[in-house]
This record gives sequence, structure tokens and C-alpha cells, in this order.
Amino acid sequence: MNRRNFIQNTALTAGAILTSPLSEAAAIPTQYPLSILHTNDVHSRLEPFPMDGSRNQGLGGVAARAGLIQQIRNQAEQVLLLDAGDIFQGTPYFNLYKGEPEIKAMSKMGYDAVTMGNHDFDAGLENFANQLQHANFPVVICNYDFTGTPMEFKYKPYITIQKGRQKIGILGVGIELDGLVPENLYGKTIYKNPIELANINAARLKQEKCDFIICLSHLGDKYEENKVSDEILAKECYDIDLIIGGHTHRFFEQPRKYTNKRGGDVLVNQVGWGGIQLGRLDYIFSGKNGKNLSKAHTVVITRNTSK
Amino acid sequence: MFKQLLLLFALCLGMGCSTPNLPLSLTYKGYPVNNSTTDTALTNLIQPYGQNVNKTMGTVIGFANSTLFKKLPESGLGNFMADCMRQMASKQYNQPIDIAFMNQGGIRASINKGNITVGNVYELMPFDNLLVVQEVKGAVLEQFFQLIAADGGWPISAGSSFVIQHKKAINITINGNPLDPTKFYLIANTDYVANGGSNAAMLKNIPFQNRGYLLRDALIDYIKDLTKSGRPINPTIENRVIVSNE
Repeated sequence: MNRRNFIQNTALTAGAILTSPLSEAAAIPTQYPLSILHTNDVHSRLEPFPMDGSRNQGLGGVAARAGLIQQIRNQAEQVLLLDAGDIFQGTPYFNLYKGEPEIKAMSKMGYDAVTMGNHDFDAGLENFANQLQHANFPVVICNYDFTGTPMEFKYKPYITIQKGRQKIGILGVGIELDGLVPENLYGKTIYKNPIELANINAARLKQEKCDFIICLSHLGDKYEENKVSDEILAKECYDIDLIIGGHTHRFFEQPRKYTNKRGGDVLVNQVGWGGIQLGRLDYIFSGKNGKNLSKAHTVVITRNTSK
Repeated sequence: MFKQLLLLFALCLGMGCSTPNLPLSLTYKGYPVNNSTTDTALTNLIQPYGQNVNKTMGTVIGFANSTLFKKLPESGLGNFMADCMRQMASKQYNQPIDIAFMNQGGIRASINKGNITVGNVYELMPFDNLLVVQEVKGAVLEQFFQLIAADGGWPISAGSSFVIQHKKAINITINGNPLDPTKFYLIANTDYVANGGSNAAMLKNIPFQNRGYLLRDALIDYIKDLTKSGRPINPTIENRVIVSNE
């Protein structure tokens, strides 16, 4: 065996070992799944909506959501569970317990990351920071400067998570607080331009060799007036692949597709409010792709019609 | 040879990281969260909280001598809420408030004759509207009255009145005196209206004081205060808002 042959053969074997720990044959699998589950604007809906004849009666509730998440985890290989903010406010649970059961429930469900919504300030920033003692998940937000506030050491602009072969970068952006949140509640928090900060932090994630970059956003999907939104962020970003949105309480029929500054696809999704729906995005990744580094790729979208 | 293999291995690993694994396709689904499968651990986690929440919502804080409805141009329920806003804003902000307004659309339920529970107040005011205070010039306040008149008349606090004639507000009095367009008035409103909601655009750019005090909490505190002092909850129609199409 000459040296070149040896290298080729070994490369093939090493590749097989690396990429497919479970493979029976030498075949190299080229596709890798990642299931992203997401919620937004759950608004303290710990119990299902009451059976009062209203449209949402019986829907939602953490027990049912946890059951559903567990079912999916039992089937899917790689799962991420994310929330786009406004965890707090909306039922008497919040008025009485200021978010403690909400954060405990999310920890038990195994959330991987969340961002902050405007209502998460509702019992004060100090309260939000305090309730995070019950959290086993990080809060990601890159355009709020919390220096000198109780949140100062309790958040991250972004995180990375290894999911199988994929290194996933997750950042977060929040909505302008002035005019929306009483000043005495947000205190010394400084709101910064979400587009600029999202691009800076997504570029860092790119440098850290992330395969896929998700932005959790509480900006709102889009507005009639020229107010910054997920739509604007999607068109103005460079490295973000997916925006999990919130704030505007919209039930998307399907994820919206935009083209980013590099000509690549950016998807935006949002699942209403109140924990009525759990969003599921099943991505299939290419095994390795040395040719297509431009990111100007297209993602094929289909609806999962299974029950 | 082992060294070579190791090098190769490292090379592969390195490559695996430097070449992104691109997303090729996406399948999406929105799952309705219904009670088909529930997680016992979560049910148990929220159970003690829920018990206490239900107990609190059932807590009796007062008694209504008669059923209070919302009605235009004036209702006992509306008067009750506007009076609550004026008094609790005066207390919270520690300054005398000239007049309070309750937007008619924000009243979401009746209060039935009998015991009033915390839960009843949540039904009456499910929104997280805040009780805020604005200093408004009489001329602007007059525009606001015109909006209210065109809308059929919102509840206003005791001591003030106006007449709706052909959808226009006339004979406006604040605290017993005719509205002075040059004077500044301290008014209590929800942050929703103070921010220009319900077409109150004339108020939108006027700064307001906000202490994060929910109108719902103001109502609960007000009812508790009345009950404690032995006063009945029995608002009446006082001709604060009169429709005259003469």
C-alpha cells in the first residue's frame, strides 16, 4: 500500500467513524437532523385556558406542553427548546408569584435558551434577575446593556450549543423599552440598536465556527410604520439563519422566508401566545459542504402534515 | 504510522469545524398544546401555586348592594371606576387630581350584586393597564372631551360633568368650575389612553407620571379601603354625562 492510498483509505474510515458512530456499514451519512421547538409570549399561562366556551378553551398549560415536548424528544435525535420572551404577566399566577412557577416549569421542561420580552420587566428588573435563581437555562440578549443593574451578570449576548455534528449559535434581541416599559421598571438598562448588535454578535458566532445561527427576538414580526422588526432584521442581517420571534402574538401559517445581505435564506417564525401552540422546525443539515461557503443557499420548506 | 493517523484525525476534526454544515431543508409544524398527554411532574410542580391562586381569586374583598353594569352615557359601574381612579391616583402620586377618565372599552365585565372577589376585579379589568397622571392644558382637555362626546360619553370622576349635544361636548365643568382653556389640569388616565389609545391622539405627546401601579390593583385597593371603612359600594347616576339633542 503506497502512502497516498493509505491516506485515502484511512480518511474514509476515519470519516465514517467520526460522522456516524452508529453506522453498521462504511456508508457515510450526509444528512443530519435538528429539531427546534419554540414558544413565545406564554404570558404566565401555567394552566390551560379555562373551559368557558372561548376559542382557546382547554389549550395551553405547562403540563400539556411538557408532555408534548417529551413525546418529541423520544422520537427526534437532536432537539433545541427555545423561547422568545414575555414569559411573565397575564394570569394571576404572575401577580402572586412574580414568575417563580413560570421559570421553574421552564427549567423542568429543559429549555436551552430564552430571550427577554418587555413584560419580563413587569415586576421590576430586580425581580426578573431574582427569579433566574430558579433557571437552569441562559437568558440571551445582545442589545440591552445591563451594566449597573441587577441583571448585569445574569445574561449573555449569545451562547453556543453543540447538537450532534452541528454547532449552533444562539443570540437574542429585545424591543425598545422607552414608551413601552415604565422607566422605574427597566432602570439603568440601555437599549441599543438591535440590527447593529445582532450583526456584530452573529459575526462573532460565525468566527466561532457555528454551523447555524438562531436569533431569539422580541422585536415583533413587522409593523406598518417603519419600526424595527423581525422582517427588517431578516433583510439587514448577514449571518443569521433563523429568527424565532414574538411580541406581536401572531400565529404564522408557515415560517416566513427572507433574503439576507449575503443573498442567503433567513426564516422567521412565531407561534402566537399563551402557549397555545408549540412550534417545531425540523432542519436537515448537509454532512459536510466544503464548496458552498458563500451561505447564499436556499432552504426547502415543507409542512409536516402528520398528526 | 500511529502519528500519521493522529494527524489525519486532527485534520478531519479541524475540517469538520471549519466547513459549515449547511441547512438543506426544513419541515415545520405548529402543534396545538392540548391535554392529550400531560406531564405529571409539571402538574405536581404548579399544583400548590394553583391552589393558592384559586384561593386568592376567590377572596372576598367587598360587597355590591346592586348589580353594576356598564352603560352609556353614564353608569354606576363607570362612575365607580372613574372615582376609584381619581382617588387612588391622588393617593399614589400624592397630589390632588382634578379629574379621572375611564375608557368605556376598557370595562370588560359587570359586578354582580353580592360579594365581590379578587377574581371579579380581574374579569372587570383583565388588561394590565397602569394608572397614570398627566398635566394637560385646558384647550387640549377640551379636545379630549370632544373625542369622548363623539364616542357616546366615557365615565368621568365625581365633581365634573358635560353635556353631549349632537355628538359635541358642551358645558364642560371640571371640579365644579367651567373648563378654562388656558389653565393646566392634572388628570388621571390609563397608560393606554395617555399613550394615545382609543384615538386619544391629543394626549399622546404629553409626558405622564407612571409608578407602575396597575388599574386592577387600584380597584382592588379601593374596594378594600371602602369595605374597611364601612362604606357601601353603591354608585349612582349623578348626571355627570347628559345627552341633550335639543
